Amino acid sequence: MTVTERSSPVRGLSRRDFLKYCSAIAAAIGAGPLGVGKVAEAIAQAVEKPIVVWSDFQECLGCTVALLQATAPTPAQLILQQISLAYSEAAMAPAGFDAEKSFDQAFQQGTYWVIEGSIPQKMPSSMYVGGKYAGDIVKEFYPKAKGVIAIGSCACFGNVQAREPNPTGAMGIRAWLRGPGGMPDAQVVNVARCPGHPDDLVATLVYILVNGKLPELDSQGRPVFLYGQTIHDTCERRAHFEAGEFVEQFGDAGSLNRWCLYKVGCKGPVTYAPCAINRWNGRTSWCIHSGPCTGCSEDNFWNKFSPLRSPVPNIPIPAIQGVSAETIGVGLAAVTAAGLVVHLVGQVATGRLFKGGPSSDEKGGEQR
Amino acid sequence: MTKVVIDPITRIEGHLRITCEVQNGKVVDAWNTTTLFRGFEIFMEGIDPRDTWHYAQRICGVCPNPHALNSAIAAERAMGVGSVPDNARLTREMLQACQLGYDSILWFYILNAFDYVNVPDVLNAKTTDPQLMAIQDQVKAIATSGQVNLFSNHYWDHPGYKLPPEINLTLTAHYLQAIEAQAAANQAAAVLAGKFPMIMTMAAGGVVQLPNLSDVNYYLDRMGIVKEFTEQVMWPDLLAVAGAFPELGTFGQGVGNYLTWGLMDAKSQKPEDRVFPPGGIFNGQLSVKPVDPADARLYTHYSYYDDAMGQGKKPFDVGQKEIQFTQYPPIEGDALPSGKYDWTRAARYPDPTSGKDVPMEVGPLSEVLVAYVQKQPEVVKYVDEVLAALGTPGKPAPATVLLSNLGRVAARVIKARINMDHAAGWANDLLANIKAGDTECFTPPDVNRTGEGISGYDAPRGALSHYCRISGGKTTKYAAVPASNWNLAPRDDSGQRGPVEAALVGTPVVDPAKPLEILRTVHTFDP
Repeated sequence: MTVTERSSPVRGLSRRDFLKYCSAIAAAIGAGPLGVGKVAEAIAQAVEKPIVVWSDFQECLGCTVALLQATAPTPAQLILQQISLAYSEAAMAPAGFDAEKSFDQAFQQGTYWVIEGSIPQKMPSSMYVGGKYAGDIVKEFYPKAKGVIAIGSCACFGNVQAREPNPTGAMGIRAWLRGPGGMPDAQVVNVARCPGHPDDLVATLVYILVNGKLPELDSQGRPVFLYGQTIHDTCERRAHFEAGEFVEQFGDAGSLNRWCLYKVGCKGPVTYAPCAINRWNGRTSWCIHSGPCTGCSEDNFWNKFSPLRSPVPNIPIPAIQGVSAETIGVGLAAVTAAGLVVHLVGQVATGRLFKGGPSSDEKGGEQR
Repeated sequence: MTKVVIDPITRIEGHLRITCEVQNGKVVDAWNTTTLFRGFEIFMEGIDPRDTWHYAQRICGVCPNPHALNSAIAAERAMGVGSVPDNARLTREMLQACQLGYDSILWFYILNAFDYVNVPDVLNAKTTDPQLMAIQDQVKAIATSGQVNLFSNHYWDHPGYKLPPEINLTLTAHYLQAIEAQAAANQAAAVLAGKFPMIMTMAAGGVVQLPNLSDVNYYLDRMGIVKEFTEQVMWPDLLAVAGAFPELGTFGQGVGNYLTWGLMDAKSQKPEDRVFPPGGIFNGQLSVKPVDPADARLYTHYSYYDDAMGQGKKPFDVGQKEIQFTQYPPIEGDALPSGKYDWTRAARYPDPTSGKDVPMEVGPLSEVLVAYVQKQPEVVKYVDEVLAALGTPGKPAPATVLLSNLGRVAARVIKARINMDHAAGWANDLLANIKAGDTECFTPPDVNRTGEGISGYDAPRGALSHYCRISGGKTTKYAAVPASNWNLAPRDDSGQRGPVEAALVGTPVVDPAKPLEILRTVHTFDP
């Protein structure tokens, strides 16, 4: 079936809605207006639906719950019609040995692998499934997967359980594979944030299907097409920042007017994520509507940005109120500046600041 | 003797193994083994007390809101804030209403339904309804694709699947509607708190952001969808399933002790005034004793920690640091678990009569029983409705039938209905406050104080309590006792089984290779 026909190739979605969906995806993956057709063709012609295995390791299931909140496509459209979800401990009918059969069969048939949760390097006993250590599972099946996507900040970076002193030695999938896993060239797409956003996952999957390769990644392994802008630069409260209008304390008059949250700890200026673009819960809302950003898309954010209630230092505040930012939170200056440098290096590496191709380390790997 | 091991137990939050010993078609002994450890109580030590709730809600991505709430309350009490502005209470309650609205639907359909609803069998249903036929087409496309999918490799031929094809088809349609209904509840949460899961508006001392009129209006609209689904779809489905599976009332009794810290705060913010009041029921005797989250006890003889870490200490005196992992019990062979076998600590509560620390079941059944015994009228109304449906005309079933798997299933839906009966009320009270000029939503806490705070407020799956001690602007001790420490407790130092283990004993297993009944019993706890 092609998109020139009158009907939609996706059951339950009208043709108009289908094309709207494709154009949103095309925009999300940076394919531009002309990319809509290409996206639509790729989806329509995927006669064999891509098989997806969703594994859970050291996690809270929040990424799975976030997936259930998706609206475009809905979870039912996604899981029943657009992909073949072979394995998800949260959703599948079988359990135990029978569930493991589904896991093995999916890898025999050829599958993409989405991983939620981190790997405990220091304390392997703290994450087992079916009698196997999570690290061993990742090591064994990484080479057999068509592509690996880490969903959410646990699988990307270790997240909350990697908070000092990181009792279990929690690490992201990519770091584990490249280090203890002994595969220094391992490629994993990091779909960050806490929880991981279902739209980012779908956009990444479609990107891979359309282009036949992994997307270009930044220094933290995140797709550049999704994680290129800061929260601050896309923020609906930005005008208040520029006007020097700040919430000084929760519940104050500025808070009622939804002024800028910088002074109560917002990490928006140093956080790269598309939250303002694709928002949450069917695009109903996003964090800044109700509170300061915690920087959850950034590697090591719990350690780097704590205490969360303290403002990010070294952000030049517009002169209107003449407040010196450095007086607000000096203690964080060094670590946060280091975080910025890392990101800038990433931008250099991926060719976003200077002309020239991405470095061999960070450019999108060919689909394996 | 046959050993049955299920690992992973699917359709739950977390990572769980169940080992059962089966004799003559019945479970005679059982062990639950959590196979995940992250160490929250270790890394939460030393953080800013105003930040604890951000961490705590990551304990569970299915129920982050009650973790955030309990953590904020424990921390604000430690920082000298005894109660929060009424608008903060109402915003917090609205968020809990969203949580419970979504979570009840998630559990009943997405986590639980496949234990009773035979999905492949929908192809045998006769229907002329175009929507139902479209569902049949979808199931057929999946079943004939040759690709492995969510329904592959399951024992759909188990005799426990006995609903007629047409009912299986209807319930499958409701499963799909349920996905949309639960999402509506979380859209309501998102407009109040930025997103769900992982809300953004909580604060030790109240809430960050007073919802505006447009937010409240949107909340009311979304929760209207959830209320309609809960009343018109989930409630009749409960009565239908309960009627079709009467055997659910005959096993899964468990430990016979029931505990709740209560939930749904009244204006006084006192636990005893809650819609679901706190209380304990011991030895199946239908009288309610007062309980206090400060008095929870923890044991670790069978858990992967040093024995001396537990031994009945209270949460402030127990930690997670003295890890003593030995080995996971063997999956293969006949050997049964021995020695330490679980990451979960065993939570116990002192029986006021004997003084002995005993295992306590927590969850909707405990909350409903404690309220029912105290004749809470809203609870009595729905319990009586269920008992009438289970009995014969004019002769309702006895309330004792609820002390079973059936009671756990029914109580979850009863709790969901009472929640939806109150969901709009919180919002209307908030609007009335704002209309009267009250926009206060935050009391600044004193972060440099030395003090401690405790909060007990039940999550959807049951009793949850947080403990926070602070000094010099840092937490010096943090503890959480979630529902899993109660229900999924292993044996304690004196050998008493935990509630799930006890409920599994006596569960019939018609075919040890297809242990559907074990899944049913475990799932009734919403582990």
